[in-house]
Amino acid sequence: MAKNGLLQRIWKSRIVYLFISPFYILFLIFGLFPLLWSFYLTFQDWNGLSPMTPIGLGNYTALLRDSTFFEALSNTALYWVVDIVFILALALIFASLLHNVWLKGAKVFTVALFLPYVTATVAVGLVFNMIFDFNSGLINSILRSLNTLAVPWLNSTQFSKIPVMVLNIWRAMPWYMLIIFSGLQAINPEYFEAATVDGANAIQKLFYITIPSLAPILFFCFLTETIESFRIFTEPYIMTAGGPGSSSLSIVLYLYRNGFEIFKMGYASTIAYALTFILLVISASQTFLLRKQGTMVEENPQ
Amino acid sequence: MIPAITPVRENRSIHHFKASQLPVYIILVLWCLVSIFPLVWMLGTALKPVEEPIGGLNSMIPHVPTLENFAKVATLLPLARNTLNSAVIATVSTLITVFLCALAGFAFAKYNFPGKNFLFILLIGTMMIPPEAGIVPTFIIMRYLGWINTYWSLIIPRAATAIGIFYMRQYITSFPTEIMEQARLDGCSEFRIFWNLVLPVVSPALAAWATLAFIARWNDFMYPLLFMTSKDMYTLMVAISKLPVSESLSTPWPVIMAGSVFAVFPLILIYLVLQRFQVSGLQLGAVKG
Repeated sequence: MAKNGLLQRIWKSRIVYLFISPFYILFLIFGLFPLLWSFYLTFQDWNGLSPMTPIGLGNYTALLRDSTFFEALSNTALYWVVDIVFILALALIFASLLHNVWLKGAKVFTVALFLPYVTATVAVGLVFNMIFDFNSGLINSILRSLNTLAVPWLNSTQFSKIPVMVLNIWRAMPWYMLIIFSGLQAINPEYFEAATVDGANAIQKLFYITIPSLAPILFFCFLTETIESFRIFTEPYIMTAGGPGSSSLSIVLYLYRNGFEIFKMGYASTIAYALTFILLVISASQTFLLRKQGTMVEENPQ
Repeated sequence: MIPAITPVRENRSIHHFKASQLPVYIILVLWCLVSIFPLVWMLGTALKPVEEPIGGLNSMIPHVPTLENFAKVATLLPLARNTLNSAVIATVSTLITVFLCALAGFAFAKYNFPGKNFLFILLIGTMMIPPEAGIVPTFIIMRYLGWINTYWSLIIPRAATAIGIFYMRQYITSFPTEIMEQARLDGCSEFRIFWNLVLPVVSPALAAWATLAFIARWNDFMYPLLFMTSKDMYTLMVAISKLPVSESLSTPWPVIMAGSVFAVFPLILIYLVLQRFQVSGLQLGAVKG
């Protein structure tokens, strides 16, 4: 009887299931199925054409002994840490500046500041390549005119990560600025007015009103940018090709190389699974930490 | 929400300029320069004859502006075709994704049905999985379907996105349920309610999401790089990524920049036309989240 009731309710909602079905159908075909197949491939040696050779845990043991993979992993982790700090700090600063009620031309500033997000990473990557060029680049010509040594930005293992980070920060910051800005619009302006009356300065307002009120949005930004920076591909692909050596190689670029340049598809899938595993651990621990902190905040007033 | 924003904007006019506000303007103007500079540099270099020196700040403005770099790019790439590919893929996938995301967002916002919570959590959960996780089999699937070198490979897989559905749900939640009930009494089907009543009301959110989806699709790189393997089917991004080394010679910078201008400036023009939807629409969405 209860089961009949449920089936009846499902049947009554059939049109609603139809409305949401495209996402789930596409997810099954282009999300879940490749994900499971990819897992199967991690146990195979396969070039994509000839029959697969099962090699058990061979790909995993190879991965753990692959120093290039670990270099890509540590590069990517560094991209993540540096980019997220700069992106979120700058996004918070510029969103707060744009939020000032007395600001004239806020609209024009918003549009101009958002422009980097509109421009293609590939195209700007080429511009940055030109600007960071050792011989004829703008940055080195400025450094030379200041009588400082020119820096081989793109051609030294020491510096090659910097242009990649600069491009990533430059392009991704406006997106988070806009999200944080829209979050600021939702904060009751009376809080800020009351704080101004009480003589709070801008820094105090930032730490006592803005950041606490924005906590959920900042967490959202942190989580999405974590995923985005671990997926970094276009920037190193277009600027440095991961080099020199593998000094600017990212995980996804290494995955791409293995899967689609030297056709080690089983090994590429293993790298993909390592990436997924790392991201799941990071997102889960971030969510866990926030929950813990969230309950503390809730318990405090009592 | 618009009535709530408007008074804030009106307040702006009664505040007078104070010296203490100057640093804010200076910082904003400086960062605007940082934001715009690479684009100006791109355009300046593209208009420069190949012989003119590149490098220093003073070389940014071409002495003898020329359009020959644009003509040169067109000989290296099937540029018209690449632009058409990008335009078709971005337009069609934006239209489909906005429609499907709004439809699913409407369903999650306005109906109760068995398994709703589970399906929604599943939807959010999919955002935590990087698409690269299944990239190798995705490529094999495309090959199996015969979609390599076709628009389908770039349009269909992401025709409905979790983030888009989430965003549209946030926005549609505030649509008055009473209007829907009234329409039902008048004999409206659920789809007609969506199409005739809900969609017009949420058009700012649709425009905002469409702008963002269009930007993302136009600038997309990894999928087109994988799935488009012939020069004629390249999107603009893939085409210009191959520019630095073409015909096994290194291309001069002004020619590369001319190619980049083709990839970047059409989208910027579209954005400047549509930006009012985007900013206001996104605000509304986030406020209700």
